[in-house]
Amino acid sequence: MSSKSLSLRNISKRFGTVNALDNFNLEVGVGELVALLGPSGCGKTTALRVVAGLEQQDNGLVMVSGKDISDMPAHQRNMGMVFQAYSLFPNLTVEENVAFGLHMRKVNKHLRLKKARELLELVGLDSHNKRFTHQLSGGQQQRVALARALAFEPEILLLDEPLSALDAQVRVNLREEIRRLQLSLGTTTLFVTHDQEEAMAVSDRVGVMNHGVLEQIDSPDTLYNKPSSTFVASFVGTMNRIPTQISNGMVEIFGIKVVALRRGQESGNVYALVRPESIDVSRVAGAGHAKIITRSFMGASSLIICQTPDGSVIQALMPSHYSGDLHPGEEVNLHVTLNEVLVSNV
Amino acid sequence: MAKALRMKLLPPLALTLLLLGLFVFVPMLSAFEYSIRTPATGGYGWTHYHWAISEEDFFHYIFRSTWLSGVTVLITLLILVPTLVWIHLSDSKIRGIIDGLSLLPLVIPVVAFAVGAQISFPEFVQNTVLELPFLYFVLALPYAYRSLDIGLNSIPLKTLSEAARSAGANWLRTIISVIIPVIRGSVMATIALTFALSLGEYTLTVLLHWDTFPTWVTYVAQDNILGAIAISMMSLIIPFIILTAVTLVIPERNMQGRK
Repeated sequence: MSSKSLSLRNISKRFGTVNALDNFNLEVGVGELVALLGPSGCGKTTALRVVAGLEQQDNGLVMVSGKDISDMPAHQRNMGMVFQAYSLFPNLTVEENVAFGLHMRKVNKHLRLKKARELLELVGLDSHNKRFTHQLSGGQQQRVALARALAFEPEILLLDEPLSALDAQVRVNLREEIRRLQLSLGTTTLFVTHDQEEAMAVSDRVGVMNHGVLEQIDSPDTLYNKPSSTFVASFVGTMNRIPTQISNGMVEIFGIKVVALRRGQESGNVYALVRPESIDVSRVAGAGHAKIITRSFMGASSLIICQTPDGSVIQALMPSHYSGDLHPGEEVNLHVTLNEVLVSNV
Repeated sequence: MAKALRMKLLPPLALTLLLLGLFVFVPMLSAFEYSIRTPATGGYGWTHYHWAISEEDFFHYIFRSTWLSGVTVLITLLILVPTLVWIHLSDSKIRGIIDGLSLLPLVIPVVAFAVGAQISFPEFVQNTVLELPFLYFVLALPYAYRSLDIGLNSIPLKTLSEAARSAGANWLRTIISVIIPVIRGSVMATIALTFALSLGEYTLTVLLHWDTFPTWVTYVAQDNILGAIAISMMSLIIPFIILTAVTLVIPERNMQGRK
């Protein structure tokens, strides 16, 4: 597999008055899987299409292992792509679909069908090679699309929300399969998704985009635990916004002084941003008075939603075996279990 | 529920098909019956068919009209398929304009069209019978355009073409290897419509002073009306043979699969 690095430099792309990409920069290392995550219209798909050559950027460079391919047509870029919509050719059998890229590269029939069968075996569909695409389920079609994208040994693999049309269980299975294949083949991969769980589960790094700009790109752990902006903090995972006051770099949450990690302002009213799993609900006396509104059992953990006397709704995620005796309507106390907290201006 | 609805619709559907069948086949059968009459003996025979085949110009004009129609089909596909693919993939409002333009041949009188062609075509084009396929293309445009348009509307064209291009196919290969096979039905209908319309075109050909099979049939009909009908009956077979051959050349994939 001839995997290469990918570099996007100062890419800008406008659609009419909409700035889809605004001076966008991204580096993807050899064999790395990077996910682009963001709300609808943030520019993540545009970035992927610019890499594929299906969209021409207004400014900036697309480089593959240092070579500028900005003006190269899509069919010469040697990038495998899996689309959100089912994109298999209905006039071809499964193995002919997989061999299509090799056919375009003038590989002889025997070799390309051999390679197609190898790839189909890798995605577990070798027994379906003579079928037509309408005879496959959605998950199977996307597996074939993945095999087709990998068959000609692309320099970069591009995945444009390939799981979003699938059922929940199929999505989980297929995303694991994508990661397994990507790791075993070592293909540099750019994966666009709006599903943060999906992005976190399979990626080496996740880039969070907003309004055509990459807000932060980091490992899933860092992104979750040390978001660089309030947008990233709010977009990735669930975040409580607890009204409090900042003074001397400290905020008080439920009666406990905690170091403020980012200070938009030196004093006055701010929001402390706290993850549900960093809040403990108990009957132990304290200053964080609240009333339980609901408790949702989620297996190993339970989500407890409380309301404080000032009307704020707080979510707490606790191990189910610690929270089993807490019930809606009960008066409780909230505690934070961290020493540092991200704050945002009101 | 659906079965009950189908049963309810069956009688009017059968009646419509029967009437359509009568409308098409009764005149054809009548013409055939007329063509095998032999007034000399008062019975039936193949006299007029023998006469038609023995006419030295019969095969000349059959051949000429056939290849002119073939060239028209080629021009139609070469111009319309890439144009329609481009129109369907572009977001511009040009599609509405081209949709409207494609209908113009239906409202412009052939006389005006022929005169316009005579004025606008350079002399070296007017001097060759090859001017006819280009004009036949315009006459067939409303039907050919719609047939291909329906086919392209029925497929996820953007996704399929992007998938083909990202897999290494240039635009030409994308159209030939992916788009045309996927809209095969529409392409076949376009070929059939264009071929049949070109083969039977009369008015424009006469106005431009060219001779093709239909004009020759009119000429021979002046002396032998029964012979002319026999020739027309035989000419019905030609599109059938050509279109069958095209169907065999572009075989339909068994998309029901081979499990």
